[in-house]
Order: sequence, then C-alpha cells, then structure tokens
Amino acid sequence: MSTRILFAAVIGVAAWSSPGVDAGVNLPGDKKLERVDFERHVMGLFGRAGCNAGSCHGSFQGKGGFRLSLFGYDPDKDYIAITREGLSRRVNASDPDGSLLLLKATGQVEHGGGVRFSKRTWQYQLLRDWISQGAPWSKGSGAVEKVILNPPEIAFNKAGEARQVQVSARFSDGSEADITPFCDFRTNDDAVAEVTNLGLVKSLRPGSTAIVVSYRGNVLPLRLMVPMEMPAGFAYPKTPEVNYVDREVFARLKLLNMAPSDLSSDAEFLRRVTIDTIGQLPTPDEVRSFLADKDPHKRQKKIDELLVHPLHAALWATKFSDITGNDTQSLEIPNNIKSKRSQQWHDWLRKRVQENMAYDEIVRGILCATSREGKAPEDWLDHVKKMDEQLLTNFDSDYANRDTLDLYWRRQQQVTIELWGERTAAAFLGVRVECAQCHKHPFDRWTQAEYRAYANIFGAVSVGSSPEASRLIAAEVKQRKEKTAKKNQILPVREVFLNANARSLRHPDTNGVLTPKALGGPEISFQRGKDMREELFKWMRGPDNPFFARAFVNRVWGHYLGVGIVHPVDDFSLGNPPSNDKLLDALAKDFLEHNFDIRHIERVILNSRTYQLSSKTNETNKLDKNNYAHAYIRPMMAEAVVDVLNCALGTVERWGPEVKPGSKAVEVGASQLQNPQLTYAFRIFGRPPRTSACDCERAMEPALPQKLFLMTDQGLLDKFKVVDGRLEKLIKSTKSDDEALDELFLATLSRLPSARDRQAFADYRKMVTDRRTAFNDTVWALINTREFILNH
Amino acid sequence: MARFVSDCEGFARRDFLKIGSAGLLGIGLPQLLQLEAKANEARGQRRAQARSVIMVWLAGGPATIDMWDLRPNAPEGIRGEFNEINTSAAGVRISQHLPRMAEVMNKCSIVRSLAHTIPSHGPATVFMTTGNRPTPALHYPSLGSLVTRLLPAAQGVPPYVAFNELRNGSAGLAGYLGTSYNPFIVEGAGNANGRGRTAGNLRVRGITLPSGFTLEQLENRDRLLQNFERGLAETDRQDDLVDGLDTFHRQALDILRSDRTRNAFNLQQESDSVRERYGNTPFGQGVLAARRLVEAGVRFVTISTGGWDTHNQNFQNLRTRLLPNLDQTLSALIKDLDDRGQLDSTIVYCAGEFGRTPRVNNRSGRDHWARSMSVVLAGGGIRRGYAHGTTDVQGMAPNADPCTPDDVAATVFRQLGIDHLQELMTPTGRPVQLFREGNPIARLVG
Repeated sequence: MSTRILFAAVIGVAAWSSPGVDAGVNLPGDKKLERVDFERHVMGLFGRAGCNAGSCHGSFQGKGGFRLSLFGYDPDKDYIAITREGLSRRVNASDPDGSLLLLKATGQVEHGGGVRFSKRTWQYQLLRDWISQGAPWSKGSGAVEKVILNPPEIAFNKAGEARQVQVSARFSDGSEADITPFCDFRTNDDAVAEVTNLGLVKSLRPGSTAIVVSYRGNVLPLRLMVPMEMPAGFAYPKTPEVNYVDREVFARLKLLNMAPSDLSSDAEFLRRVTIDTIGQLPTPDEVRSFLADKDPHKRQKKIDELLVHPLHAALWATKFSDITGNDTQSLEIPNNIKSKRSQQWHDWLRKRVQENMAYDEIVRGILCATSREGKAPEDWLDHVKKMDEQLLTNFDSDYANRDTLDLYWRRQQQVTIELWGERTAAAFLGVRVECAQCHKHPFDRWTQAEYRAYANIFGAVSVGSSPEASRLIAAEVKQRKEKTAKKNQILPVREVFLNANARSLRHPDTNGVLTPKALGGPEISFQRGKDMREELFKWMRGPDNPFFARAFVNRVWGHYLGVGIVHPVDDFSLGNPPSNDKLLDALAKDFLEHNFDIRHIERVILNSRTYQLSSKTNETNKLDKNNYAHAYIRPMMAEAVVDVLNCALGTVERWGPEVKPGSKAVEVGASQLQNPQLTYAFRIFGRPPRTSACDCERAMEPALPQKLFLMTDQGLLDKFKVVDGRLEKLIKSTKSDDEALDELFLATLSRLPSARDRQAFADYRKMVTDRRTAFNDTVWALINTREFILNH
Repeated sequence: MARFVSDCEGFARRDFLKIGSAGLLGIGLPQLLQLEAKANEARGQRRAQARSVIMVWLAGGPATIDMWDLRPNAPEGIRGEFNEINTSAAGVRISQHLPRMAEVMNKCSIVRSLAHTIPSHGPATVFMTTGNRPTPALHYPSLGSLVTRLLPAAQGVPPYVAFNELRNGSAGLAGYLGTSYNPFIVEGAGNANGRGRTAGNLRVRGITLPSGFTLEQLENRDRLLQNFERGLAETDRQDDLVDGLDTFHRQALDILRSDRTRNAFNLQQESDSVRERYGNTPFGQGVLAARRLVEAGVRFVTISTGGWDTHNQNFQNLRTRLLPNLDQTLSALIKDLDDRGQLDSTIVYCAGEFGRTPRVNNRSGRDHWARSMSVVLAGGGIRRGYAHGTTDVQGMAPNADPCTPDDVAATVFRQLGIDHLQELMTPTGRPVQLFREGNPIARLVG
C-alpha cells in the first residue's frame, strides 16, 4: 500500500513538472497508445525484448544486480525490482531520460545485454512515457482472459507473400486491445516461413508450419500453409485411397498442390516394412518369393505376417523400454545382475506386445504397479525368491508373467516424485513438463503449481518394506547376508507399495497444500489405502483425454513414417501443434474405438498408401518434410543397424556372458553392456542410455563415427571372414559370379543389381582377379552405400 | 524443426549454428581461421588466444594439498610429509617432489581456491569435466564436446580425442549435444592406471585403417561403391540426411587418406631426447602424442592417468610413483609447447575430480575432499607464474578468491574465444547456458 501512496505522490510531481508532455505513445503501424500500462505494455516489452529471458535478467541470479521474474511470471516482483531496487535509480520520473533503465537499454551506460533499442524508437518513447507518468501500476490490469489472432491461420497462395498478423487480448476487466507490438513471434520452421518481431509473416517455400505467438506467458500457434505454385497445365492427379489415413493425408497434400509420390516397388516396400516392423532385413529368398508372388493382397499378407513375428514384439519392447526408461544403471544392485533385470523388464513388455494386449492395459500394469499385487507377504516372498534364483541362473525368467512391472518403480536410488511426474507425463501423455519445475513453461500452459500438483499423485508410492511385510523382509535379508560372503553380491529385497502417508509438494507461491491433480485434468484426493495412480489411469484412458491416445498413435505413426504428426513425438505443447490435426484425431478416434488395439492401428498405418509411397520424390513434393507426400528416408535404430549388418553378412552376434546367446539386438533389454565392441556400435548409432524421460535421447542423425565404423571397424570386417558367414559360403559355393552378385545385392539392398551395378562389378572383376578379394570388396562397398544404411 | 529462442544477443545463435555444423564437417585451415575470426567479430570479442586444449586428467582425485598447495603451518596430521620448494615463479612454492614443475612454474597458473561439494568420483568427474554441477534431469556435455560443437574443425583430423574413456565412458561424452559430439577414442592407450601397451600401438578408433587394409584397397572399394551408388542418387538433393551422409562419407575418406592423425601417433618422428623427456611410460608417450595431435589440428585432447585415489599410503605412492611421473611428463609438455611457440595457442589443464582430506587417515592416506583443491593451467593466454586464491591454514577451504569448476571452465572457454554465456539448445528445445554458474576468472588471464 505504501508503494502506491508513494507513487501517487510521484505522479503528482511528474505531472506538474512536465505539463507539456504530449499524452500517448505512437506505436508501429500508425497506432497510438493513450495510456501506458505497466503489466500490459511495459512487461510485454520486457518479454519481447528478451530482458526477462533465462540468460538475461530472468536468470535466478539476475544479471548485473537486476533481476526480473523469468518470462515475466511475477508482476509484483518485477515492479519492485524496477522501481524500488537498485537505489531507485532505474526509473526517475523527474528526469525520465536519466533513468538507468533507459540508459542501459540504449547502451548509453554500459549494458551487458548490449543495445536493446535506440532513443528514437517507440520502445524508448513508451518506457519514457511510462516513467514520466510516475511509473504507475494498477495491479491485475494485465490479467489476460483470451488472446485472439487475426487471421487465426494463414493459407498463402504461394511463396514470397507477406501477411500481417494482428494480436489482440481480452483482459479480465472486459477490455480488448491490440497488443501486436508486445508479442514475441517465432517460426517453427524458418525454411517455410519467417516472421518479423512485429508479426509480419512471409512465406518462403512450399510446406506447412506454425508461427508461435506469445504474449506474457500466453502461447498460441498460428498455423500456416504455403502451397506449391501450379505449373501451367498441371492437373492434380487422383490417387487411390486405401483408408482414412490416405483421405486425411491426401486432402492436405491437395491444399499444398503437392502430388503424392508413386507407390513403392515391391522390393522397396518389403525392405522398408521388414526394417520397420522387426528391425531386420528380408533374406534373399524372402525377397525372391515376394517379388514372384502374384497375389494382389501380398503386401497385406506380409504385414499381417510381420506383425505377429516374435521380433516385432521385441522391437516394440525395445521402444517401450526407451519410453518407460529401462535404464540398466538405475536398477537394483548387484551390478552384475542389472542387465538381467533390464531383460526382465524387456521380457515383460515383449510378452504383452506379442499377445497384443490393449495399450491401456499395458500402461496400467506399468503406471499402477506394486510388487505384491495384493498377494500376502509370504506368497510374494516366495515369488521374489524364485525371481532372484532365475536372475542368478538363467536368461529366462517368469517375471513377464507378473501382472505389473514393478521394476519401473524399483530403482536402486530413490526417485523424487517430481521426476515420476516428468517421466509419466512424457511416457504416457507425450507432454514435457520439466520446464515447469522451476518456472511456467514458456511454450506451454503448465505452471509450477500444476507441475507439483501432478507430481503429488505419486506421493504415496514407496520402495522398501511395507509395514505388513517388513518383518518378513528383514528376516530374509538377514538370511541372505549370512549365506553370502561378499556383501556387494546380496540381492536386496524391496517392494513397491503405497505408503500410508503421501509425500506432498506445496504451492510455489503460497506454500499452501496442493491437492494432487492430473495435468489439465481432475483433482485426485488422497485417502489412505487408495492408489491415486489408479485414478490418474482412469482419467488417462477416458474418451476425452486430450493426450493419452493421441500421444501413442503419434508415436506409432512417428516410428513408421519417420516424422511424428506432432514432432518430436513426446512434445505435445501449445507451441508445437500437429502438422495435420485431422489425421491425428482420426487415428486417435480409431484407436479408442478399437479399445486401444495397437496391432489394429499398425495395420491401418502400414496398409495405407501413404506408408507405401515411394521415397522417390516428384517435382511437386520434393520440398515436403512433414506432410507425408513421399516416404521419408531415415536412419535405422541402433539395434536395427547391428541386426541388419548381421542379416547382410549372415553372422550371429557374439554377446558375451551378459546376453542370451543367439539374441538379436532388438531382443536385448539392457541399456548398458560391458562388451566394448557392442557398446561402441550401440553408442555411435545412438542407442539411448534411457536416463531421462525423453524420446530425444535416442539419436537418429548420421554422424561421422558411424561412417568410419562401417568403413574400418575391425570387428565388423572380421565378420566378413566368418567361416559359415554369407560371404565365405558364397565364395566357396559353385555359384557363378553373376549369381553370387545377385545374392549379395539381395542380402544387403534387398533388390537385384541393376544393369549399371552389374557393369560396375564386371569392370571391377576384370581388375581384381581374385574371387575372394573381389567379393570381399563388393560386400564392403554394398554396406557402405547410403542405400544400405538408410531406411527408405 | 529447430526452434528459435532469443537470447541476450538475439542474433548470435543462428550464426553459431552454422559455424557449429561446419565444425562437424571439417573445412580447410584458411577457411577455418576466417570463420573463427568472423565468429569472434560477431560476438564482439577480441580474437581467441587459444586454439586447443590438452586436458591432463588425474583420475581418482589427486592430493593437491601435497602437490600444489602445501600447508606447512598446519598441525601434524594435516600438513603431511612433504616440504615446499621455491619455483621459477616468484612467491609460488610447490611440493619438493615436483622439482621440474617448479622449473616451469613461471609459465603456469595454479588455482588454489577451487572448491565444490561432491566428494564422489562419478558425479565429481562429471562436474569437473563439464563445468556444470550434474543433475539427473540433464546430461551436460563435456568440455571437449562443447568445443567440438562450437569451434570449426580442421580437415582430416577428429576434433576431440580422448586417450581413455573417463570412468568407463560415464564421463567425457557429449550429453545433450548428441552422439555426433562424442570423443574419438584412442585405442592401445592402456587402462586408467597407466599400465598397458606402449605408445607404439596407439591409434584412434575408427579413424585409421586396420592392419591389412591398404589405402589402395580403400580407394578401389570406394570407386566400386561410387559406381554402385545409384539407389538414392536420384533422390532430390534437398534431403539433409542423404546430403549429410555424403558429406560424412567424404570426410571419413579424408580422414582415412590423411596421414595427419596417423602421423601424430608416429612418435618415431620425434627425437629420442624428446621422447625421453616426456617419460618412457604410456602416459608420457601419450602426452607427447597429444601434443602432436594438437599440432595436427585436434581441438581438444583428454588424457587421463590413474592411481590418485590414495586412501592408503598417500605419501609413499605420491613420492615414489605418482609425482615423479607427473612431474616429468607435465613439465616436459609445458616446456616443449613453449619452446615450439605453441603454448600461447594451447591450454594445458591438469585436474582431477576433487582434492583429498587435509587430515591424514590412519592408513597414511587421505580421503575424498572436494571443499578445497588445486588445478594447474598453462598456455593460451593463461597468466604465467601466478597462484590464484588461497586456502586457510589447514587447507580445509578457500579463504580468498574462491572459485568453482564452472568458473575455470568459463575461463578456458573465454580463452578459446567462446562466449561462456552462450546458450545451446537441448533436444527438447530448452535453452541451456554453457556453464550455468561460471564466470571467467579475470586475474587468471594475461
């Protein structure tokens, strides 16, 4: 209160001392602002100029002794910082031009952040005007009810056009005002469109993207589309549609004047679908018989066959392992058992994918896991003993037969409830909330309070001994200690259970109690004995949940098409809208209607013409990156790289003692292995350590070491020479050079050599007369082609 | 789908992205220098002093209280068994068992007031080698990975080379930057304890052809490949992935054809006396190879030597083994670089994950202690003959000019001409400042 009185007095002085000041400020676009408002305009300006960004005064230490709240979430603190702190030199109503705020921003006094604007700009006039009015503040004046974009989306006619976006806000006092100059504008793809800091959008290249508009923490996407220019006489082709996927994709492409590519060839399709579904290559015989097959439904049949292939479940268990954070290092000791625990995790997931268990039921088994699953402590302990026995003796275990995946919660080190919130949100909702741990999410809706309320759902989940089982556990641990000489070899006995009391985070501002609450969903009150996770699960799987089904179908789509409709696939946020929301909605609706049947959704996607388009582009669609006009060329998962190399070379991976002999890489559960050769290959091809709840941990970009690995790695080159490997068998066989060449092309590129390929080999063979050397070199050349190492 | 987030400089990020990716692709030296000059200009900074870094890592946590910052006036049970000697730097005194380092101390700075709070090997290693206190939420990139990301690389050599994986590969990696920025690993360098094969077998994994695979064979095979390679050739050239792979293909061939890296490991090209000076140990010869790698254009080399976790018999181990080896090799490196006129462009940074307890335990050992420790820096514009900060009389904690691993990292980066306040984007689109808390130590420079 005293602040207000003080400033009321200052206003009086200011008004008196500068009576001739012209009221109002000229804004860009010939607009005039009658009265400068602290919250609406001054804070808007700070946000737009980046003053309150994390690297500047918004950092927790501030900068140069001046601290603003990050992204301007707290007007109260900012007002004090500007008007009272810093010896009150920052604003000086009697000499506005001498205010430190202006001297710094214009670089008249040294400013670490450089010159933000000059004296002649509207920004300067605005701040000056506000200061000369006595730096008034009417609390709450800037509370926003709604931000309105005009136009709400832009359909350009072609590249090279410009459109002005006008942003207005409806404030909680009912007034509505233009706030365009106070917004921050960013483009999500600067190849397609750019935007000025005053909201002028320019189309640069055909495609679609979004401009993200933010005004003081309110984020809105503005979607835009830039069609190809139609060449004279171009008739848009009619492409047959297999299902609703094609309907939605092709409808969008038509708006963009982009024609879908041709249907992929049989060889192209077979290679792609085999890599995508089971992480392997088709054998030469499989390619031959598929090409020879005259059945018009052979693709559909192949898809059905692959979707029930055991390795398909293994591949998805690997993907689910990424999503759920099957981080070997984080599991319970002893260290030499950890990789087997990871395998149990993988097995649990694999069994469910193999049985095509409904997705929501799989999630329930993870999200709501307990160790005892309602069993009496004695029965559970028997089960634990059996599991532990299997850990010590076998690669196989009965862990997969459990109803729930308690390993998800059972980590060696205690995990904070904040982290459980982040992990479950990313895994099952496709939402990244970690920003909101410290501040309101800059590109999404989540506040710190929502972040904490969500984390509180996990407050009762504990790992250790429940009161009912503690006596039994203590006795068992004692016995184990007596039996084992080495202390670090003892398997701990711990259970995931619900504590009678729940840990709880408090409100970041008021420090008040925060009732657990689903993200953008209902409150979930804590009662002793009730599993709040079950309530959360009910909300997730409900028909109106905006994230659960969408997040998963988007992941499936992203896996098979290479680019998510929301991309990255676990970044559902206001600032990152779907590239085709009708398509996403249709997939989610279908998924719900089929009771979360994963295989059904996979079948729909794989049978669509969209999935089966060629990667070869045409003149109209060559610039497309996210509208699925052609198949996208993409790298393979690290596990698939290892397997595909073995497929090509006809070799079996030697895993060492950690992994069941004969396993394919997609069947390996552990995120970390001791075998240095494999660790190296996995690492350079981007297998994630699964330490954070982010799909982005899996690197899917090419890198120099990968290329060098394929060219020079000793372990890989040694595989060429394996006695019962493909190459040696071929060299020793009675096959002619031509036949052998066919075989190698089929085994690596899943196609027969072209005339040019045959000629290249024939020329080479003239130079290299030794058959073994010639084929050795040929295999090297083949696995070093882009065609081999990419999925296309 | 790169998102644009404005920062203090606003304009700078995109310029950097381009320069950063050039770093990955490898460009000729003249263009490289030009780019560097431009980058410095864009950042409104003076020209970088340093071009490369050699990080000498003392794995296990060295007892710096017996090396660089003795406490002769501390009570019995703390001051230890060693005496101080004068060095070539006025007023800077170090351990009697580092006499050759004493001779070159007029070329070095000691930071004596370094402290952090993690007395555990793994996370402390991460802290020291990334310049960021580790958090479970984000894996920070190692200093070498950051350099790879931010500075252009020379053609035909890898930008970042590590002689040993730090802590079995749990440190020294690229973190949120992604696998492209991991170090190239030297094979045959022995284990972290410095035992293992001799330097004659050193090679960087993946950048030299294995034995029996000749360059001629490589050229033949590549020609065959180029004649095959028609599969995706018609795919339009807009595809970043195909383009990227082609570039990496050419770069890989450049590296394999180039003998620059292989030559760097050919220590026969050095005179016997030079090899002798570095010490006839894998560590000594490795450090010599590190110098040669930097000469060949490598930006960041990490070489680690172990055995510093002296819970038992600290003094005996230091006196008989650890200090003589380090003394010989580190002093040889600094002197050699200086003699060759390379010290001004190369930062030598010798550190471990933490110091050791001032109080000697009942096994004549010292335990983990992060609250005070010293590191040594030399070259690249680092002040010559200077000791920064002091610790209290018992060596328990800094009592003047305290600084942190972040500060030292920021100082090193400043000397490389990299703005330490710069932000990089994590894969989730979160902007992260290079060193969250670090500020360059002004007095350590010049």
